[in-house]
Amino acid sequence: MATVPVLKVEHLQKSFGKFQALKDINLDLQPGEVLGFIGPNGAGKSTTIRTILGLIKAFSGTVKVFGKNAWSDAVAIHQQLAYVPGDVYLWPNLTGGQTIDLLLKLSHQKHNARTDELIKEFELDVTKKNRTYSKGNRQKVALIAALSTDVPLYIFDEPTSGLDPLNEQIFQNAVEKLKQAGKSVLLSSHILSEVEKMGDKIAIIRQGTIIETGTLASMQHLTRNQVSVITKQPLTDLDQVTGIHQLTLQNNQLEANFTLDSDATTDVMNYLAQHQIVHLKTTPPTLDNLFLRYYEDNGKSGDTK
Amino acid sequence: MKPFAETRLLLVANFRRDIKKIIIWLVGLAGLFVAVAYKFEGLYGSRQQIETIVTTLKSKAMVSLFGPLPHVNHLTTAIIFAGEMLIFWSIFMVIFNITLAIGATRVPEEEGLTEMLRGGHPVGRQAPLLAAILEISIVDLVFFVITGVGTQLANLPGANSMGTWLLAAALSIVGWAFGMFTLVLAQLFNDSKNATMVSYLLFGITYLMRMISDVSDQQLTWLSPLGWVEKTSIYVNNNWLPIGLYLVFGGFALMIALALNANRDIDAGLVAVKPGKATNRFLRGPLSLLVWNQKTTSLGWIIGVALLGASYGSIFDSIGKLVNDSPVIRQVLGTGGVMHAQKLQLLSFIGILSMVFALLGILAGGMVTNRLYADETRGYLELVSVKPVHRTTMILIPVSYGIVLAELVLIAAMFGMQAAGNAVLKHPLAAKYFWQSILAMTPTVLLFLGILTLFVGAMPKLRSLTWLYLGVAFVISYFGKLLKLPDWGLKVSPFYWFQKVPVKTTDWTAWWVILIIALVCLLGGVIGYNKRDLRN
Repeated sequence: MATVPVLKVEHLQKSFGKFQALKDINLDLQPGEVLGFIGPNGAGKSTTIRTILGLIKAFSGTVKVFGKNAWSDAVAIHQQLAYVPGDVYLWPNLTGGQTIDLLLKLSHQKHNARTDELIKEFELDVTKKNRTYSKGNRQKVALIAALSTDVPLYIFDEPTSGLDPLNEQIFQNAVEKLKQAGKSVLLSSHILSEVEKMGDKIAIIRQGTIIETGTLASMQHLTRNQVSVITKQPLTDLDQVTGIHQLTLQNNQLEANFTLDSDATTDVMNYLAQHQIVHLKTTPPTLDNLFLRYYEDNGKSGDTK
Repeated sequence: MKPFAETRLLLVANFRRDIKKIIIWLVGLAGLFVAVAYKFEGLYGSRQQIETIVTTLKSKAMVSLFGPLPHVNHLTTAIIFAGEMLIFWSIFMVIFNITLAIGATRVPEEEGLTEMLRGGHPVGRQAPLLAAILEISIVDLVFFVITGVGTQLANLPGANSMGTWLLAAALSIVGWAFGMFTLVLAQLFNDSKNATMVSYLLFGITYLMRMISDVSDQQLTWLSPLGWVEKTSIYVNNNWLPIGLYLVFGGFALMIALALNANRDIDAGLVAVKPGKATNRFLRGPLSLLVWNQKTTSLGWIIGVALLGASYGSIFDSIGKLVNDSPVIRQVLGTGGVMHAQKLQLLSFIGILSMVFALLGILAGGMVTNRLYADETRGYLELVSVKPVHRTTMILIPVSYGIVLAELVLIAAMFGMQAAGNAVLKHPLAAKYFWQSILAMTPTVLLFLGILTLFVGAMPKLRSLTWLYLGVAFVISYFGKLLKLPDWGLKVSPFYWFQKVPVKTTDWTAWWVILIIALVCLLGGVIGYNKRDLRN
């Protein structure tokens, strides 16, 4: 038990005037882990991250990064992390290339081979002035600088909100590389599938409180896929199958839409296969579904699991 | 789509956004104007009182600062009032209108508000610009009514209704015309900073043109759009021609702005943004970043004020001449005595100007200090504040840069003035007088920048109070004598303590006290900045 956690947040609270933005935040990130930090807009993700970065002061509770106090040891901590904010604003008069180099120098690092590699992968024109960049391109500038910084901890706040799917993939690959190199990553998002792909652990925040935290596997009971299916034989007794919710049947019971508990997937698929599947589409669970499920479980205890 | 669709709604929204600003400016400008009008009779109501001030007002120094008095044998209270207020109040009106014009056009466009309104709603292409035009026009009209009615009621000796309304019209229309002109510049430049800078630069040139022509050949003042206000000859000839000129000038600018706006892309200016180099060896930390971002503006300030100083210096030979240099006076004072009196007159002029230059230095430096907060709210700072840079460093870099720039502005202006002044003077002035003034003004410069630092560091929302205090302090010292303000009122202004330098020696007690207050404020700002949350 000698390893110091990269990040340890305990009972963090933060208020802005009368508004209590953070009520009870608990996070734990161990070396080499990727922690997905997920919640809807306005839940307090950015506020939590800004407290971890020492930009704002905790009202109560403790925030430790590398075992150091996030507020008073901010400078020492910043030496060892790289960060990309959700909204990237860059000095309008600098070019993208100049900005990347400057951001690296501010972290006491240099433009390196990885920087060039990332500029190429993201296809960023580094000779353009920042004021002419779109939101996505500004985000690329910050991402390239952060990803080519060699530090133990990376923090990304909704990093792909302005990126197209192709660039999103490049980002995901880059995070995978960081993971392989044994780096720790804190990744916030409001898209569950994105965090699911990359995160070892997930922490879910809602209205300033962490409501669920753990490995993906331990959260299987919470995830539900959206399924829409067309079969050759009518699905007469589908509503009797466990693990199926919000079922609607159409077209003489040949067409069904429902949500499916992840842990019931095998049983249901077997059932559907017996009725000869013509078309099957599953969509990963959205955050909405997850919250719905979470409150269903906590609201009516004793409900079918 | 109709180009002016929804202008009315935008106009209402503009007023809702700017109402506080407008009320503060209107109360300050129109209210103070009327208040001065009421006070004026008590000050210069009688013949004797007028006699005491006339010599001063007719000196070239005063003419260069306030504009000339009309050439009449019989000066009345009203004529003096109009003559002294005209240029000074015009400057404020122009500043107010430039602020409004940029704030209603480039700023919302920069913030993306214009795009949302025009892209996502049935708002016409010209609607935001027309709303800005109407907003400015309405505000100036309100100013016209308040000052007109107020001055009318003050009923100054020698005043007539025609003259009073001409005075109110001149002040509001000069502001309006420059406001319209700013709207043209707002179409040319794609960011508010450049548009503002160029507006003030061009305005500064019109000010210098009128100043130089006023003390040399007053016919040439017609060449400066700012100078037109002086040609109204209020309460003497009541000349309405300048009002017509401003209407044409402003109306022409208004149409150019609309024409340019009709054909340009949103977020674009007519001055295109060129790509740059991918690397830059100079940029390596917070200081070099600030220098890089500020270099053009800073250089502009220093060169601009050096030229301003030089323009004042170029009229030193006229300033030095005694208004009354009749043979009798020459005989009484002797050659040495006349020279001494002339020198004193010049030195006192230098004292007043050192105050103006200090004010400009504070504005230049203060804008840099303000950047710390502006960059914080715009999100530029977010990426720096997560780097291993201490908060103390983060605040001290722009603050020190601001202080150095403010001092450089002061020094450049004073030595621009010295160089040009000594070129035209038969007996050049020693450099020590200029250094004394610079040194005397330094604690005042530091005090205002210190107060600003305190606010930006600890309570950024209240930072505008600094400018309010600066404005009040400056007006008190610039005008206080003319208005015969009580001593305690004058002492509120830090300028008061040093404006007599280099005629008199510096009051070192006051110098140290103000310096220490300034340093305490600076320290408070640094401590506050280390303790407060950074916003996003």
